[in-house]
Amino acid sequence: MQISLQQVVPVFFEAGKADASQLWNQNISFNKGENIHIVAPSGSGKTSFIHFLYGLRKDYSGNILYDNNDIKNFDAEKFSTWRQQYISIIFQDLRLFTEQTVLQNLEIKRLLSPYHKESRIATMAKRLGIESKLGKLCNTCSYGEQQRIAIIRALQQPFDFLLLDEPFSHLDENNRQLAMQLMEEEAAERNAAIILTDLKKIEYFKAEKILYL
Amino acid sequence: MNLSYKNIAPFLSAGQNKASRWLSYIGLGVGVLLLLSSIQMYHNINHLIRDKNTRKNGADFISITKTITNENMGKDNRFTDAEISGLKTQSFIEDAAPLKANAFKVTAGAGDMIPFSTDIFVEAINTNFIDTVPESFQWKEGDALVPVIFSTDFLEMYNVFAPSWDLPQLSEKTATSLPIFLRCSGHKGERQYRAKIVAFSDRINSVLVPESFLEKQNKDLEEEANAKASRVFIKTKDANNPDLLSFLSQKEFHVNKDKTKFGRVKGVLQSIVSGLAGFGVLVILLALVLFSFYLQLMIAKSKDNLQLLLTLGYSPQWLSKTVAQKWIPVYITIIIVAVFLTQLLHWGFQYFVMPAREELSFFIDWIVIVIAALLLILSVAINYRLVRKSLHKL
Repeated sequence: MQISLQQVVPVFFEAGKADASQLWNQNISFNKGENIHIVAPSGSGKTSFIHFLYGLRKDYSGNILYDNNDIKNFDAEKFSTWRQQYISIIFQDLRLFTEQTVLQNLEIKRLLSPYHKESRIATMAKRLGIESKLGKLCNTCSYGEQQRIAIIRALQQPFDFLLLDEPFSHLDENNRQLAMQLMEEEAAERNAAIILTDLKKIEYFKAEKILYL
Repeated sequence: MNLSYKNIAPFLSAGQNKASRWLSYIGLGVGVLLLLSSIQMYHNINHLIRDKNTRKNGADFISITKTITNENMGKDNRFTDAEISGLKTQSFIEDAAPLKANAFKVTAGAGDMIPFSTDIFVEAINTNFIDTVPESFQWKEGDALVPVIFSTDFLEMYNVFAPSWDLPQLSEKTATSLPIFLRCSGHKGERQYRAKIVAFSDRINSVLVPESFLEKQNKDLEEEANAKASRVFIKTKDANNPDLLSFLSQKEFHVNKDKTKFGRVKGVLQSIVSGLAGFGVLVILLALVLFSFYLQLMIAKSKDNLQLLLTLGYSPQWLSKTVAQKWIPVYITIIIVAVFLTQLLHWGFQYFVMPAREELSFFIDWIVIVIAALLLILSVAINYRLVRKSLHKL
């Protein structure tokens, strides 16, 4: 799978705001297997960019293509097919089912398009230190724990692209590295690309491209 | 996708609003039961009153004669062709046909079997106006056998006075196998025919012969090619139409109201049952509306979770289908229970209300089953569309 951007600019941007950007208003393609790191300060449109890529928002000019298909023409049904098989995401605001248990949150994603067996959930939870939380309600977990739940959830499906929107904002350094290591292993297993946005450059993320918004 | 409703159930607030859910189930059940049992009763009424029915193809057939008064006694009170054409032009009269009578003398006897002979009259009418017309009711010149359609009332009258005359009483079946000898005589001569009762009529109080026979004898024996009729049968949508009755009374035509009585009783019964069926449909609609409120409320309450499921990659089509399918077993159960209760009611009607009427079938009519199946399809389809629409609105 390939994702191409053709002069994409958020419609709500003031004139000239995108001029210095290495991403906005450019023609760029992202391919399977490469890691892309997008670095930008707050308010420069990192979350908007990830949402544009995932098809949650359409308030941009230009085109975003999945394998030469303009996603502006996709309906909800078509997006569901791509999201089940080719694109996974970790939202900045996590988007978990807070009234359900941690395991239910992970299983509902795994069952949709199973890539791993159920037992792998416990292994991953153990690696990220939330094994004891699996039976607990999500809303009883700390934000840092919820961030790790969202990471594990994103890894339950097949994907060609893994979109990460500031995925470590509430994790300590040790947990950040553990999570990054797990995600890189999982992406490598699928020969997938990781597109990671953050406020500053993350040293332990081995990116082929670094783009400043 | 190896997923079922069970997997997404924890993410939906389906367990809430139990009261409105159960109310809609009960409403649907009551509505379906009302509708199905009304249809079955409609069918039963049709079946039970069929024998005495004067209606045919949704029309009433009634006979009219001119009212005999002291003033017109002795005059020719038969209908003229112009009067019959005038009847046909009225909007409330679909058709009219004269009941032509014999101009010659007819004597009927039953040979040696029943030593009985009497002068009779025979009449003929367009076969479209006769309720029972077997194929054998035809006569052409040269035929020695004349088919006769006999009034059931006449047979009843005969059976009343037969014992006092030492004559045997006759069933309809025996009467049809009885050889009858007709002697037709007039100024021009005399002819003998064999006759046979081929059918009985509830509608027309007469001894009916084919029109071809009557016309031939009238012409040959009395040189009367176009005999005028004393009675005219009219076909009308409703014999109780006030316009028709006022027209007839204004023209001083007499109507045989007894013959429309069954039609009226049947009409009233069918109206009541149709009203019940209409009420049933209304209850079903209300129940479906109530259930749709429950579904919409459930979807609204689970909006965030459903939205997140869609964001994570769940297909809207799969979600609609799965959520809608959840209630199919409930609908099937409700409708099967309603069909079963309709069968019980039908059985109760058969054994407690109409125990002697064997013409009613033990099982409910097939149309009731078809309607039940259609209701099931309708409920499921409405349900699916509603869920789909609500999900697409998210």
